[in-house]
Amino acid sequence: MGETRLAWRNVWRSPRRTALTVAATVFAVFLVVVFVAMTRGVHEKMIEDSVRLSSGHVLVTAPGYLQKRTLDEFLVLDDAAVHTLDTLPEVVGWAPRVVSFVLLSRDVTSRGVAVMGVDPARESTVTTLSTRVVDGHFIRGGSPHEIVIGERLAERLGASVGDQLLLYGVAYTLETAYDLYTVVGLLRLPDARLERSMAIVSLADLQEFLVFGDRISEIAVLAESSERTGALRDALRRGLAMLDSRPVFHTWREVMPDLEQLIVLDDLGFYVMVAILITVVGFGILNTILMAVLERQRELGVMLAVGLRPAAVFRIVFLESLMLAAVGLVFGLVLAVPTALWFEAHPIHVGGTMAATFEFVGMEPVIVFRLTSSTLWKSSLLILAVAAVAALYPALKASRANPVDALRTI
Amino acid sequence: MLLRFAWRNLWRNPRRTAIVVVAVSVGIAGSLLSMGVNYGMVDQMVVTAIRTELGHIQVHAAGWEDEPTLQKTLPGGAATVVAALERDPRVRAWTRRVRGDGLVNSPRASAGVRVIGVEGEREGDVSLLREALVAGNWLGAAPRRALLGESLAERLQVELGDKIAVSVQDASGDLTGGGFRVGGLFHTPSSELDRSTLLLGLGEAQVLFALGDAVSEVVVVVHDPDEVEALRTSLAKELGPQVEVRSWAQLEPLLVYMVQSFDMMAWYLYAAVFTAMAFGIANVLLMAVHERTREIGMLRAIGMSRRRVVAMVVLESMWVTGVGLAVGMAVALGATWLLRDGIDLSAFAQGLAAYGVPPRLSPVLRARDFGMPLVIAGVAAGLASLWPALHAARERPAEALRHV
Amino acid sequence: MRSGAHGRRIAVRRLRPLLLAGMGCALALAAAQGGAPAETQGQSAAVPGVRGPGLSLEAVPEGLDADVLARRADDNMRSASTYFHGRMTVESPRLATPRSITFESWEDRGGKRSFVRILAPPRDAGTGFLKLGSNLWMYIPRVERTMRVPPSMMLQSWMGSDFTNDDLVRESSEVEDYDHRLLGVDPSVEEAPGRRAYVLAYVPHEDAAVVWGRIIAWIDAETLAPLRQEFYDEDGEKLRVLRFTDHRRVGTRTVPFLWTLTPLDKPGHRTAIEVLEIRFDVELDESIFTRRHLERSDRDG
Repeated sequence: MGETRLAWRNVWRSPRRTALTVAATVFAVFLVVVFVAMTRGVHEKMIEDSVRLSSGHVLVTAPGYLQKRTLDEFLVLDDAAVHTLDTLPEVVGWAPRVVSFVLLSRDVTSRGVAVMGVDPARESTVTTLSTRVVDGHFIRGGSPHEIVIGERLAERLGASVGDQLLLYGVAYTLETAYDLYTVVGLLRLPDARLERSMAIVSLADLQEFLVFGDRISEIAVLAESSERTGALRDALRRGLAMLDSRPVFHTWREVMPDLEQLIVLDDLGFYVMVAILITVVGFGILNTILMAVLERQRELGVMLAVGLRPAAVFRIVFLESLMLAAVGLVFGLVLAVPTALWFEAHPIHVGGTMAATFEFVGMEPVIVFRLTSSTLWKSSLLILAVAAVAALYPALKASRANPVDALRTI
Repeated sequence: MLLRFAWRNLWRNPRRTAIVVVAVSVGIAGSLLSMGVNYGMVDQMVVTAIRTELGHIQVHAAGWEDEPTLQKTLPGGAATVVAALERDPRVRAWTRRVRGDGLVNSPRASAGVRVIGVEGEREGDVSLLREALVAGNWLGAAPRRALLGESLAERLQVELGDKIAVSVQDASGDLTGGGFRVGGLFHTPSSELDRSTLLLGLGEAQVLFALGDAVSEVVVVVHDPDEVEALRTSLAKELGPQVEVRSWAQLEPLLVYMVQSFDMMAWYLYAAVFTAMAFGIANVLLMAVHERTREIGMLRAIGMSRRRVVAMVVLESMWVTGVGLAVGMAVALGATWLLRDGIDLSAFAQGLAAYGVPPRLSPVLRARDFGMPLVIAGVAAGLASLWPALHAARERPAEALRHV
Repeated sequence: MRSGAHGRRIAVRRLRPLLLAGMGCALALAAAQGGAPAETQGQSAAVPGVRGPGLSLEAVPEGLDADVLARRADDNMRSASTYFHGRMTVESPRLATPRSITFESWEDRGGKRSFVRILAPPRDAGTGFLKLGSNLWMYIPRVERTMRVPPSMMLQSWMGSDFTNDDLVRESSEVEDYDHRLLGVDPSVEEAPGRRAYVLAYVPHEDAAVVWGRIIAWIDAETLAPLRQEFYDEDGEKLRVLRFTDHRRVGTRTVPFLWTLTPLDKPGHRTAIEVLEIRFDVELDESIFTRRHLERSDRDG
């Protein structure tokens, strides 16, 4: 205990020097915590924006659906399954869909598209499609034969809100399926390719159109956050194990492998920056502690001469370094946490060319922050670890000091 | 003289100075290298885009950029455009293409594709498509051969030599098509390209789309990338309003945004790292100044002005930073040279391919990339020295001399 | 674009010429200086481009020209203007009972035009398909809509069967887009017990938009009526079998009145066409091949 107090006193022996080193640490801690919060937030948003445009965090399908995508691969949900999906805590939202390739035509112009039948109420709990309507409105539960298409698709068909489009295809029963649908809304999506081929009708309409009964093609499920994807998948596996259709559960990572890789790559770049920053600060701590040790040669020599064990000296110097870092850490966190939390509540809206870059990769032009406890204790651990490493050389030097030589210095 | 003085002061406590120099070097080397990798990535993105399809400049019929349809063509093999290009010494190479959409099918699968008709020889001078061949032969070796991206061939479940059928809507709106054999497979850094593009000979594409001798575009590469804009404007003026002349930056503004955003990232990185460094430098200077209080007092007593004292301290800061910079830059350049064959990022191949970046990335550091860190380092060093310098200057000579 | 199951339908595309206006298989005789692997009597031999056990074929009589025979066989099934009335039945594991569609068609062989009108079931009655050259239009009376079928839809199933829209439209005929080779004479073919059949190989031209490897066809040696066709991909794997039975005399021609298509990669699937009426050299009104006619849904030709 005496050692701790001694160490603490030593730290404040040269207040200016300590202050500068602490300041460097505060600076580093602040930057690291705030930027980790930013990177985390941005990545989460990237994943969320992507999964909330299409497949959710987990996509439930029949076996072979992703490769073949025909009406032969279907799921049937019974009441128990619906109840399970409604009540599972990991499920933030779930959306059943039917997907089929049909001909869409306005007058003579026609295009083949993959039309998606959705349950409007449930769909909004998973995707943001209903918020991306730029003209008209999204499909509503009550009105029959409404269709919403991508703006670019509308352009290609020469269609606008209010026009009637013909849907034509082959039903599950191999009968021809055809019907007229009214365009009630146009969608604008960040992915141009998706926008050119997106057509949405109500689930009930499409099931009737395809004489599909109560079968569905896929279920998109949303988790609380991308980190909880695994937990969601496990919960779904257990909860829906009873289904005859033997569903398969695909995570967003399997459906969008590019996305995950890009995020990891980005993280890598960020970790490198953190490493450089921390190293520089580490050198600063090293220098400070070393100078402190060298200045106190005489004192250390006296201590060793009167019987203080070298190990104790080592510990004292070591503690000094940790304390220095700890002070910086505390002040850094005191500044960083509120800042990060404030940004979490007030995301930054970007404009200009930055906004365009965001929109290209399919993201909203906002910088979101997300602070987690793991960030905090990981950063703390990192700083303390660096301080510990930085302390090794000076501490060793101090404990090896020769009392006789030390006493001779003036 | 002051310079030499400052230098000697630094090395009075070699260990301390050495540690600071090492810190500065590590900071600079690390930042430069990591920016080097980033620049390498952006470079690759731009290079890939330019070398796979964009070229430096593209010429189309007027109105093509707004609405790229099959019918908007440059008639007569774009003879006037070609003539203008041949006359201009800034042009390194040019080629013509036909562009359309279609459906390609094999016995087992079908896919919607972009069909591009290219001139065998010339295309090789302009784009890297020829080098991107991983199997089979380039166009021109045999008639009715199509080149497919590797992933497209996989999707269609075809191999070299297999027969495929291409259906399109030609220039008069008629449904038409033709049979071709897979003559070659290519693999470019861009996954999008590989997945959705079919290459045919220019002549055969013109026949398929019933275009006669018209072409969809002329693609140009220049000797000196800095001359792109100048060439573009002069071409546009010469060729008149029936054609559009666009530079790659205009066709893909996103690439430009990416470059700009990396520059901004660099700024933040250097600012953060050098600020952290500045604290360390300041600390060391402060200690040094404190130790030399008596000496400084003496210097002041014999007539050295306050300003010169400040200057001396500032110079010491500059020296430390300078040496650190030199060492750091040397390390960064050395590492860049060592890694010139590229860092293996194949674990991220898919993600990178989405942006047209190959999985082997070499860091890139050019002369102008050093400008920013140099300036920021200089400013950081200057700021770091302020407090110690002022502190040194404030001491009154008499008191300083009495200092122990 | 859809792959997989839809892709399989492409394999059946080559059926189009055989389907719409009638059928023709050609006999190809390679003269001694040809290259056709005519086999000696009774010997089993491997057929080039085909995987599986060889065929036991007899030698071919001299003096027959492959292309001439191809044309004659084609003529047996089609005339310059042909009227066809048939019932198509589709079987699939999805269906408890097979689905039936009745239709009539008119073909102008020289002008590369044809017209199909669906007669039954009621929901599809009045639907029309107009083919002009390589373009296909479709009309649905209930919603009074005409549309042009885009390339992406050409490979989709026609009326829910194992045929595709493309089969309806393909300009190529087995005479124009293929080379023909006689392989030999089969003395015992399932579809015509007791009769002899010429066995022909159809090999598509390089520039034809056909992705088949080849088609092996059996034709009655006497009447030149089609008996069977087997469709192979380029690796020699058999993908489809088309059988022709219930042969009857119509004027100077012998026509099979039941055609059955079995896709080998889709177990439980089968499409059959019964000929209800077929008339050759009919009077064709020009107005049949117009959009105006397409958009009338009454039954007058």
